[in-house]
Amino acid sequence: MNRDVIGLIVLLALIIGFSLLLSIAGKYYIPNPESRKPTEIFGGNNQLAYLYLKYTYYPNDTSRTVLSPEAVTAIVWDFRGLDTLFETTVFYLAIIGALALGRGLIKIEKPVGEHGLSIIVKTVTRLTSVLIVTVAASIALHGHLTPGGGFQGGSAAAVAPLLILIIFSIYYFLEKGISKTLMLIIRSIGLIVIGLVAISCFIIGVIQGSEAFVFQNQRKIVGVYGEHSIEVSLPSHIAGELISGTLWFFNIAEFFAVMAGFTIVFMLLFVPEKAFREGGGK
Amino acid sequence: MINLELLLYAFMALLSISSVIAVYLAIFEKKLVRAVVFSAIQSTLYAILYYLLMAPDIALVYIPVSVGLYPAVILILIRKTEGEEKV
Repeated sequence: MNRDVIGLIVLLALIIGFSLLLSIAGKYYIPNPESRKPTEIFGGNNQLAYLYLKYTYYPNDTSRTVLSPEAVTAIVWDFRGLDTLFETTVFYLAIIGALALGRGLIKIEKPVGEHGLSIIVKTVTRLTSVLIVTVAASIALHGHLTPGGGFQGGSAAAVAPLLILIIFSIYYFLEKGISKTLMLIIRSIGLIVIGLVAISCFIIGVIQGSEAFVFQNQRKIVGVYGEHSIEVSLPSHIAGELISGTLWFFNIAEFFAVMAGFTIVFMLLFVPEKAFREGGGK
Repeated sequence: MINLELLLYAFMALLSISSVIAVYLAIFEKKLVRAVVFSAIQSTLYAILYYLLMAPDIALVYIPVSVGLYPAVILILIRKTEGEEKV
């Protein structure tokens, strides 16, 4: 019964989609570029999308910009930074749930014999896992310059441990000393760094005795007529390289935290069920 | 008469319709491993769609999560149960 309803919905979507393609798709459903242009409501130049795109890299007025050419990362970690912080918290709560399910696991004994897949697959994986981690690190480190960021890079990097777990088996990880505890430590360090960067400007302000915001990146001008200036800001360049203040630190910390979090879940999934049964009561 | 932009949108529409077919096959497939493969095909089509809709950030996170990690996790879980769906 349920299956029939889903099938009917899918078939209807097919028919409607084909008719859309054949008749009106070209005429009506092309996104309108005019929607991004400023309007004259409230005195002009004040549409949210327009403002975000204009001020994402705008060195002439450092009180409004993030100094990052990549608008999505600027919105994710600065304009709408608090949303992302809580979203990160949700992800870590999910990891904590997985850890709670895997509790009581004390020791995994390695059985005798060869583990994993054939030598050809192992050799290929040795090469590709290095490439995967390199690309992921590039995505994360250039998150404020090109499309990408901490979560994107971290989830791409988590593919490499997954491949190693499937192809070399979990005992390879345990021999190399990569345990659940180590990944938990990396994840916690990443989370702590995210928290510290979020309040870094506030701490600087407290030390200097000036006003500053939590989750602030560059200097801000507040007040109805812009009379009140808050000069605390993180450096936008280090040794001539653009790092966009907090964005670079957020991206790196998120990269390590996401990669370690995913790896913990995969390691728990790959633990043989025998180990759970034996270690459960102790 | 046919300009490039219209061709691009027609391609996107084709991709979305093929993804609907993949979803249909994934739901109605009795063998679970095959269903996961159909689901991964749908994810691949969505990744191309995200790229064509000028959301490379989403495409970058969608490819590892939805094409790599999610089918892998489901396959591991299928290995721990039975390979066929019983109604």
